[in-house]
Amino acid sequence: MKDIYILGIESSCDETSFSIVKNGVEEISTVISSQIDIHKQYGGVVPEIASRAHIKNITFVLEECLEKAKLKIEDITAIAVTYGPGLIGSLLVGVECAKTLAFLYHKPLIPVHHIAGHIYANNLVKRLEFPLIALVISGGHTELIYMDKDYSFKKLGSTLDDAVGECFDKVAKVLNLEYPGGPKIDKLASIGEDTYNLPIPLNDSSYNFSFSGLKSAVINLVHNEEQRGNIINKENLAKSFQEVVIKSLTKKTMRAIEEYKVHNFILAGGVSANSGVRGEFQRLCELNNINYTFPSIKYATDNAAMIASAGYYAYLDGRRADLTLNATSSCNLE
Amino acid sequence: MKVLYIDTSSSYLYAGISDNDVLLSSIKKNLGSDMSKYTIMEISNLFKNAKLEPSDIDKIMVVKGPGSYTGIRIGMTFAKIMAWSLKKDIVSITSLDAMSVLDSKKLIIPLIDARRGFVYAGIYENGIVIMENQYIKLVDLKEKVSKSNKDYVYVGIQNKFELENFTEYAPDILNIIKKYEYLESENPHAVLPEYLKLTEAEENLQGINHDN
Repeated sequence: MKDIYILGIESSCDETSFSIVKNGVEEISTVISSQIDIHKQYGGVVPEIASRAHIKNITFVLEECLEKAKLKIEDITAIAVTYGPGLIGSLLVGVECAKTLAFLYHKPLIPVHHIAGHIYANNLVKRLEFPLIALVISGGHTELIYMDKDYSFKKLGSTLDDAVGECFDKVAKVLNLEYPGGPKIDKLASIGEDTYNLPIPLNDSSYNFSFSGLKSAVINLVHNEEQRGNIINKENLAKSFQEVVIKSLTKKTMRAIEEYKVHNFILAGGVSANSGVRGEFQRLCELNNINYTFPSIKYATDNAAMIASAGYYAYLDGRRADLTLNATSSCNLE
Repeated sequence: MKVLYIDTSSSYLYAGISDNDVLLSSIKKNLGSDMSKYTIMEISNLFKNAKLEPSDIDKIMVVKGPGSYTGIRIGMTFAKIMAWSLKKDIVSITSLDAMSVLDSKKLIIPLIDARRGFVYAGIYENGIVIMENQYIKLVDLKEKVSKSNKDYVYVGIQNKFELENFTEYAPDILNIIKKYEYLESENPHAVLPEYLKLTEAEENLQGINHDN
């Protein structure tokens, strides 16, 4: 069979990224331009600033990606792009770029759902085995997904309010940690003890999650301690908070694994880089004899390699978009 | 010389392909919020109607703003990617430069609503910029115009501010191309939108307050 090269494009939030992946599994080159240093001073991603940075970066990143791969656009089989969900202005730069290339070079255009991309980041580590349960946790998403074959998704549940990564960042803000605060909480938690009492959110029989209540509980706790003149032990609070998050995530995920009788579990998204979350799933999967995959740190956060990998399977599935493809801030994974 | 012209800076898509003194094909369409959806499809039709391929184009002329932030980036992304990938010459002009192309001896003042009493505007006389494109309070612009004691004409899309001597913008794409096609070509990496205004977050951080 002829080799298939997919050019992936990702611009849904604050990373401009291009990647070329061969046959869905072999990464040829990936370039990621992160805007983290720009947004840091605002305490979070500012959508219009992100859009402006994307258009500044786009040709540089594409050029570097092709040069690293020693390939020309003519050598590419098809172009895969994140069309949503994400920040609309940011997405549009990537989508217009993809449509332009598809038009100029007469290449098939493949729309890829951002969450599908996160799941397929794992396919670059190890070929996915089905059926599987995937937990996608990031600054924008918290989703529990069942897959019985490639590019076939059944959403079991998701967050009803804040995404887990968003909750990490907001709690970090309360603790006066610099944006993005998630990794800093992880670091503090690694030396802290679970001493603060926080409620496990949405501890019910659904597969949905909720993190805004937990965030409020932390804010109230800090406020009350300050009122009483007590000094907050940041390490311990980070540990207590992270433990509650881990319990909430693992409890529902392990139940889904059992109910759907799967032996494969994949963790995905930026928060999968959290050592506490990673470690507890490792322990539970070993205990239950579950085949466990998580992405390398490089592919946990937004990148185009995962879009190119997912794009390959979408391509095989016959999914195509025409030149009227539009970006969308919210869309279902189907 | 074959030139492709693209302006997505307002709710209208203005685009055309010229070959020296002939406009081979053009489009003027109010796409509103569907700009992102249809622009490239419309450009594809533009090529079909001109019976040309993108590789036949010698130069791309793109309008870089000011105007709709998202709108500008749509045409600009297309133009940058096309110029970079097909190694085509590219020039960028402002939307006000385009709007100033009018057969008149009067002061020409193209303006675009920038909300909260502000406009993006420039003043042109005999094809020359006499007030640089800027983000300016409408009252200040009006004062400048009246102080000049010259005959003038405002150019814009819909006379929302009920200005006297107002002309509705109806781009003469061929004349716009002819006026600017000999501008020096730019590096496609460096061609960027001209927003004429920082984002609110940047202004807040830098303590910029336009109302003072």
